[in-house]
Amino acid sequence: MLRFGLRQAGRLALGLLGAIVLAALVAAAGKHGAGLSAYANAVFARLVAFGRLDFGTSAIAANPAWDDLARRLPDTLELLGFGAVVAVIIGAPVGLLLSAGRVLRAGAPLLQIVAAAPVFCAGLGLLWLSERVLHWAGAPHDTSFIAALLSGDWDAVVAVLRSVALPALTVGAAGAASIQLALRRAVSQAANEPYRRGLHAMGLSRFEIDSTYLFPQVVAGLFRSFGEVASSLLSATAVAEWVFGWHGAADLFLKSIALEDWSVVGLVLLVFAGLTLCAEFVGAMAARALAETERLA
Amino acid sequence: MSAIGDIATPPAAPSLRTIIRGAGFIGLGAIGVLVGLADVLARAPANAENVGAPLLAPTALFPFGTDILGRDMASETLHALAVTVTAAGFGALVTVLIGGLLGFLAARLPLALGLFARWIAGVLAAVPALLLAILLIGLTDRSFAPLAAGVAAAPLAFVRAFDRARELGTSRHADFARATGISRNALLRRDLAYEFRDTFLVNATRALAAVAIILSTVSFLGFGATPPHRDLGLMIGAARDTFFDHWWTATFPTIALASLILCARLAAGLEEGERP
Repeated sequence: MLRFGLRQAGRLALGLLGAIVLAALVAAAGKHGAGLSAYANAVFARLVAFGRLDFGTSAIAANPAWDDLARRLPDTLELLGFGAVVAVIIGAPVGLLLSAGRVLRAGAPLLQIVAAAPVFCAGLGLLWLSERVLHWAGAPHDTSFIAALLSGDWDAVVAVLRSVALPALTVGAAGAASIQLALRRAVSQAANEPYRRGLHAMGLSRFEIDSTYLFPQVVAGLFRSFGEVASSLLSATAVAEWVFGWHGAADLFLKSIALEDWSVVGLVLLVFAGLTLCAEFVGAMAARALAETERLA
Repeated sequence: MSAIGDIATPPAAPSLRTIIRGAGFIGLGAIGVLVGLADVLARAPANAENVGAPLLAPTALFPFGTDILGRDMASETLHALAVTVTAAGFGALVTVLIGGLLGFLAARLPLALGLFARWIAGVLAAVPALLLAILLIGLTDRSFAPLAAGVAAAPLAFVRAFDRARELGTSRHADFARATGISRNALLRRDLAYEFRDTFLVNATRALAAVAIILSTVSFLGFGATPPHRDLGLMIGAARDTFFDHWWTATFPTIALASLILCARLAAGLEEGERP
């Protein structure tokens, strides 16, 4: 486990190093004059500045880029968190159901019909449904869920939940697609293991075998796909923030690109890549820990 | 029944996966025909305004209705589908070449160089492809959107091809070939030929679906296609203010886009739980 952990930590460190270099390459895009050497100098200067935790200044707001991001990041993380919860609530049962038997597995490709609509179409569909069918307009988003919860004001909590519901459903739908895929992949791999037949021949029931041996393997498979799920959630967050006017970090990324504010763009990229890489690391470690626990048990 | 009939194995029934793939290819073929004949089938040229009254609901004369500028939605959807398919097709080719081919070749480079290339692709793959595409467009120009979408989808294809090629490189047939004196280049050519024969269509259709999603989303967000070359994403984005009261302005482009993505994904015939 220690060796595995060190190897994964090394991979994470290398990935983060690459993300820092990518952020420096982007952040230096607007700073160089003519020529490759000037650009290389700007990239090097950026890397040195990153080492001092100086992420540059926003060309639009003239604030430190980190301050701009720090103001917006909590909203994005909140949306990601709610989206992840929705993704698990929808994706896990769907994934397990579609892997449950041969007949249901055969119906899995039909799910592609639902999944074929891009995230922005799902967002617009939800917007239409909420306004025209449910006659329910989302409330404006002005406080965080944690802050509302800590204040103990239940009206504020309900207001936050109303404002986050539609964007979270949009993000969650994209995450659910990834989770059900990861679960189906894990089940199809685990279901072909020869030990299942052996244990059945020894007299264990299918339920016993699946709940004791197959289920942890499937959960470990889901953990291993954490990076993939995080990436799809982040992508969907960018679209949901745009569609629902949510002022988060992904919205900041899009606006900064439109206005060529490369310091902010580089920093947002670094944070997003870091989130995906960390999710990959946590997922790999959790999967390994689960496997070790099973082995020891 | 003859003896030969007794021992001859009956022809295997096509599996569900084969049928689904076939349906996907038929769908893609139909879309290809529609796109090829777009200028003939469409009643109005692209972006022709005031063909009918603004925001007419679907009727026999205008089966998809009209938009806010009085453009025939059926013609516009057809033209936009042609733009989307052409751009996504080009992007998919870029993904297959940069991702699939270079990934396969990089795995056979000297170890350090190959791992360096894999590391770069891994870092780029950690950035969501949509954001990477928008970044590339921001750094270049909107006219490069198809190329940017193709390049953005490539890191994942690169990583997949690299890992597969490494697996093949350490397989038993590779060990046997090396032991019998077959050169590295000959082995690479052989693996490449078999790999492309077996996976080209799967990879290309998979890339087509991915690039179509990226391109349409990029256009929806305002970073992709620009009028008069409107694609489906831009059409849906332009209908954002009108679709609440006039559902047809967004519905038909959405159906066209979803059909393209669905057919491409079905044609890829993904394995159980495989990432599209």
